[in-house]
Amino acid sequence: MSKIISVHSFRGGTGKSNTTANIAALLAMDGARVGVVDTDIASPGIHVLFNLDESEMVHSLNDYLWGKCTIEEAAHDVTGHVGGEIKGQIFLIPSSIKPGEIARILREGYDVGLLNDGFRDVVEKMKLDYLLIDTHPGLNEETLLSIAISNALIIILRPDSQDYQGTAVTVDVAKKLDVPKMVMLVNKTPTTFDFDDVRTRVEQTYDATVGAVLPHSDEMMVLASSGIFSIKFPDHPVTKGLKSLVDQVK
Amino acid sequence: MFLKKLKEFFTGKKEDSTKPSPYELALKQIQSGQTDIMPSDILSFSEPLRSAVNAMVRLGRFSLTEFTEKLTFTRAEAKIIADALVKRKLFEVASYSNEQETFYTAHLSGSTRPLKKPDLDLWKKID
Repeated sequence: MSKIISVHSFRGGTGKSNTTANIAALLAMDGARVGVVDTDIASPGIHVLFNLDESEMVHSLNDYLWGKCTIEEAAHDVTGHVGGEIKGQIFLIPSSIKPGEIARILREGYDVGLLNDGFRDVVEKMKLDYLLIDTHPGLNEETLLSIAISNALIIILRPDSQDYQGTAVTVDVAKKLDVPKMVMLVNKTPTTFDFDDVRTRVEQTYDATVGAVLPHSDEMMVLASSGIFSIKFPDHPVTKGLKSLVDQVK
Repeated sequence: MFLKKLKEFFTGKKEDSTKPSPYELALKQIQSGQTDIMPSDILSFSEPLRSAVNAMVRLGRFSLTEFTEKLTFTRAEAKIIADALVKRKLFEVASYSNEQETFYTAHLSGSTRPLKKPDLDLWKKID
């Protein structure tokens, strides 16, 4: 049975898109057909990690929401873009990076219900094993919708006081929406921290499972979103943590 | 009504007649709005309505029997709740329904609204 997995954080800059792209790659390396939707319409970015150039974007999620194309027509096969040995396939549905199109959607809004239909259609018509939703940070109707229809939710936070408070709201909402599987990911943890202590504190604070505590990584900073980290650094502690996370949500 | 009286007989406690039953409360909550049901509306639903709606939204396609089982109301009550949700466009009756069974699809909100205007009562619903 296909699974919808949402990747969310209350605040921006936590590493949502990077995590989503890496999970997609790790699942596809195992032979799965994976779809990735960038629902961060106001500030899209995951296409960069998949090396999808603007000129290659025939259609985007924006076009689907405006009725210009079907959701499958907005899906781009990026399997060959990620490098490494990918047995499965990765399809990316990017959000438009054209300033005019971002402005239009901010100005006019869109049919939130179409996202609901689009997610289901793309899973069915493209025979996906997994659909990963890269969400907009914070809470709005779109992210609530993503959480409401997901089989699994990954909530990312950094060991930061601002993240801690906001994440509590997200966890509460996810519990109210009965997400079948909710896993916390503590990202960008300073290597001087006691990781076991961080895990215990987060689990106790939110009464939720911590899938992984990932260290802050200079290699990740140097890579600067120019590729998929887990493919470039297969033996890195970050990759090992991501693999453990994937095992828990797949 | 019969079940309520039976419960009162066995427990020896008289239920507060002014307090709405879970079914009455669920129906009231659905009928209190006119617009399409948005994801944030689900957060403010009482139990067992919220859990039942959550489960059906995740299923996407489901039968009245499945909805009734999740709601734990009578089938007739579940049908009235489902009809109310059809009116608010969360559920849609599937064309393949028959005399024995009604099938539905769940569709979260068809409302269009600008992203630039944050939903002011969103936080109220979460609180």
